[in-house]
Amino acid sequence: MSNGSAWLNRLVNSLADSKFFNFLAGRVLVPFWAWRTPVYPQHGGPHAAIQPGDNMQRMMNLVLPLKDKTAVGRAKAALAIASNLDEIYAGLDNVGTVHFARFVIINNNMCMISSYDGDFSNYIRDFVAQLGTVFDSVVALIEDGDAMIPTKENIDAFINWVHDRDVYQIPDVATDLLRYGTIRHPTSKPGMVDDLQLLPRALILQLNANPNALLGSGYRGYPGITVAQIRHKMGMGW
Amino acid sequence: MAKREMAERLVEAVIADFPDHKPGTRPAHTIGIGVTGHFRATKVACDYCVAEHFQGQKVDVTVRFSNSLGSPVKHDGWSDARGMATRFHLGGDKATDLIAMTLREFFSPTPEDFLELSKHARMRPVKAASIWSKIWDLLHLKPPLPDPYEGQTVSGLAGSLNYANHHRSAQLAAFDASYLGAPVSYARASYNAVHTFIVTAPDNTRRYVRFSWQPVAGVEAIKPSLSPEDDYLQPELRDRLEAWPAEFLLLMAVGETGDPLDDPTKAWPLHRARIVMGVLTLVKVPDDQDTYCEKLAFNPGRLTRGIEISNDPVLAARIGAYEVSRQLRGGSACPFSKE
Repeated sequence: MSNGSAWLNRLVNSLADSKFFNFLAGRVLVPFWAWRTPVYPQHGGPHAAIQPGDNMQRMMNLVLPLKDKTAVGRAKAALAIASNLDEIYAGLDNVGTVHFARFVIINNNMCMISSYDGDFSNYIRDFVAQLGTVFDSVVALIEDGDAMIPTKENIDAFINWVHDRDVYQIPDVATDLLRYGTIRHPTSKPGMVDDLQLLPRALILQLNANPNALLGSGYRGYPGITVAQIRHKMGMGW
Repeated sequence: MAKREMAERLVEAVIADFPDHKPGTRPAHTIGIGVTGHFRATKVACDYCVAEHFQGQKVDVTVRFSNSLGSPVKHDGWSDARGMATRFHLGGDKATDLIAMTLREFFSPTPEDFLELSKHARMRPVKAASIWSKIWDLLHLKPPLPDPYEGQTVSGLAGSLNYANHHRSAQLAAFDASYLGAPVSYARASYNAVHTFIVTAPDNTRRYVRFSWQPVAGVEAIKPSLSPEDDYLQPELRDRLEAWPAEFLLLMAVGETGDPLDDPTKAWPLHRARIVMGVLTLVKVPDDQDTYCEKLAFNPGRLTRGIEISNDPVLAARIGAYEVSRQLRGGSACPFSKE
């Protein structure tokens, strides 16, 4: 390779990290490929699974946009939690399948983040039974939330509403992303051959369709153990 | 195909992948370094497995770290899988081996598939893609294939990638391999035994498990932006062990019904129950590398009471292939035995 072409090669190799290319990709290439090879928003939360280990310590990451995006709106959301602490703690204790749960305000979103054992629908159903009043006061502050109130009387619709706002979980197995979109080798018969080099584009288009994402199923310090087992083993009296 | 014939074909296929393979050396993982140390099981290990080395006493070990290529030329800084073969020296002349690598999964679910893959992955002349091809790829939001390393004239990357595009079983390993990089030290990488084994507990409960080593010093790879060095891993390990021992935790993931028990191309979910079975402490690089490294022949089928192989056909084939390889190069099964 001559000095001139070597210089050009280095320039092209550095292109992917350049501001110019990032601008071009963000404004032109991503919208173009999202149009050309559509990828649709995925369901939120963990993927359905029948194996015990996949149904323990499942992650929920609700992102709920606040109606009022001022400090006053954020304070109202904080107050909705702070003024119901007894109900929240008693409810979480009674649900009995929650490893941890927390409320976080990030960029004018009320985020409810928890790790729980078992089925998602039953988890939300238990929650509403125990914490319906708190949910109502929080959901009242969230965009598109009014139709869900009172949550105890709209339980199935509310479960779907929550599911839609649980963030999309990117699969642990990276190559599974190839199955979700329409990313195929351009020279092959449709549906026959994948193109591993297009996996990064599959990820980009997924994150274009699902801007909020949980990256994999997450780390567990004591995998394969339920809340009930820990409480029993540690002699905590539940 | 008879087991012996398959084993011979596997070894031939691997040797054919590396045109500069030197007879009398290992067909793959040719460059390596032997290390000695000891292993001590945790208090809980004996609840899961009755094997001798999981009973808590100090067990001497010999470990061989390696680069995966079958070439006799060192390219430590190239992105590639690394190997960690461990021999646990049990009482008398008995021993058991655990063979692991930095990839979490294998490329092929059967030995027949591996033979096919090795044809496609054979080393072929390689040069950097044209700048127009790279720009075309970037416009497709597709990272271009990396330029060959300085001095690299042959590569199996394009062939193996093409094979993976047509064979889903190879995709995860091919994708993970493309992001492996090179470790800063043999002692700063995680190693996975990949195959499923069956362990027996004192109450005769049999569990399907997969083993992996995790470095206590943590995992760290060389920054891909740096120019690769050809010879640093062995000097680094010598220097490291002269200053302080290197430790690894032996983790055992316990499979569940429905997990791929016989398919090494499929990794188990990361959230399977995993048990810390013991701590490996590496203390010395012996001067006699011929005995402790080059002549030593490991085998994934060298097991002891309490550990069995699963029905993984690749594991069964590897057991035969390792033996064929040992005979070809005149390796000894154990430095302390007359095998």
